[in-house]
Amino acid sequence: MQSKLSDTDLIEQTLAGDQSAYADLIKRHQRFVFTLAMRFAKSREDAEEIAQDCFIKAYRSLESFQRQSKFSTWLYTIVYTTAMATLRKKRIATDSIDDEETFIQVENKPSGYDENNVENKSRSFYLNQAIDQLLPDDATIITLFYKGEQSLEEIAQTMGIEANTVKVKLFRARQRLKDKLERNLKHEAKELI
Amino acid sequence: MNNIEEQLWNYIDGTSSPEEQKAISLLIEQDEVYREKYKELLALNAGISAMELDEPSMAFKYNVMEAIRNEHAQAPLKARIDQRIIKGIGLFFVLTISAILIYALANIQWSAGVSGGTTLHFTIPHIAQYLTNPLMQGFLFFDVILALYTFDTYLRKKNLTKTYTSVQSGRQQK
Repeated sequence: MQSKLSDTDLIEQTLAGDQSAYADLIKRHQRFVFTLAMRFAKSREDAEEIAQDCFIKAYRSLESFQRQSKFSTWLYTIVYTTAMATLRKKRIATDSIDDEETFIQVENKPSGYDENNVENKSRSFYLNQAIDQLLPDDATIITLFYKGEQSLEEIAQTMGIEANTVKVKLFRARQRLKDKLERNLKHEAKELI
Repeated sequence: MNNIEEQLWNYIDGTSSPEEQKAISLLIEQDEVYREKYKELLALNAGISAMELDEPSMAFKYNVMEAIRNEHAQAPLKARIDQRIIKGIGLFFVLTISAILIYALANIQWSAGVSGGTTLHFTIPHIAQYLTNPLMQGFLFFDVILALYTFDTYLRKKNLTKTYTSVQSGRQQK
């Protein structure tokens, strides 16, 4: 049985002209890239457009990837900058904590819960809902930390900030997430989490 | 409270020093407030970790690869039109025109104007004799090849544009 190729192997093959290797890279990272894009976009269509744009950009500049960091970190940096640029274009304020109260994302996204497990379903649904209500930066940090298998240093590289700042931001983001959950569920929150 | 939470998050994330880890571990064992808070944060931590990633549409990978393929197909077409060929053709025409001009100027009887004559006499070269020349035939053959090449490039470009437009419209329909 052929062992699973690493990202670096797939990059090498892509650079050698094998486009199917890049298709494998997309398959490997598309869910996370799309999830990250969803943290910024208002709809699935917008998120898909951002994610698609990111993979095309990554393909174009694959030769310039220095391999000093993980491919995922490099790719998430592209996603973050692309999504931020898209947000700026759409003039959605993201950098002020005061704006958090006015920032509402009403999109109800289907979450990947286990249909046989009601408890998991509720937990995942409400957590997704609460994350949707966070500022994009907060939602991004939480997503990168928990789902992107990124260290604080790697998140810092992706977002272009200091690792210590990421640590503080992560703490605040989790606090806000907890507040949102409590606000959304009132008394049920504690039982749910 | 925030201080407790911060300490506990650092403990859960494993970002505190070994000494701090030990101290917090002890506090969790002995202090009810720490213990309750720790359970709460641990549950939230597990909840976030267990969250599933969103799934893009089925056609996502195909769309990306199709966009890349189109981009890739267009780029070599541009690259294939070698700048040296363009420059070569340009040089060929410049040299031809220059040669004709030099030949024409060399054959002008400049003295005719000075001597007071009203008409200039040009000796027109007999072009007909060159048409049978192998050089002329080679030139015509080169022109035919060039015309075919240009026509082929035009058709390829037209075909690519058509494919790209159909892919784009297909994507918009989705």
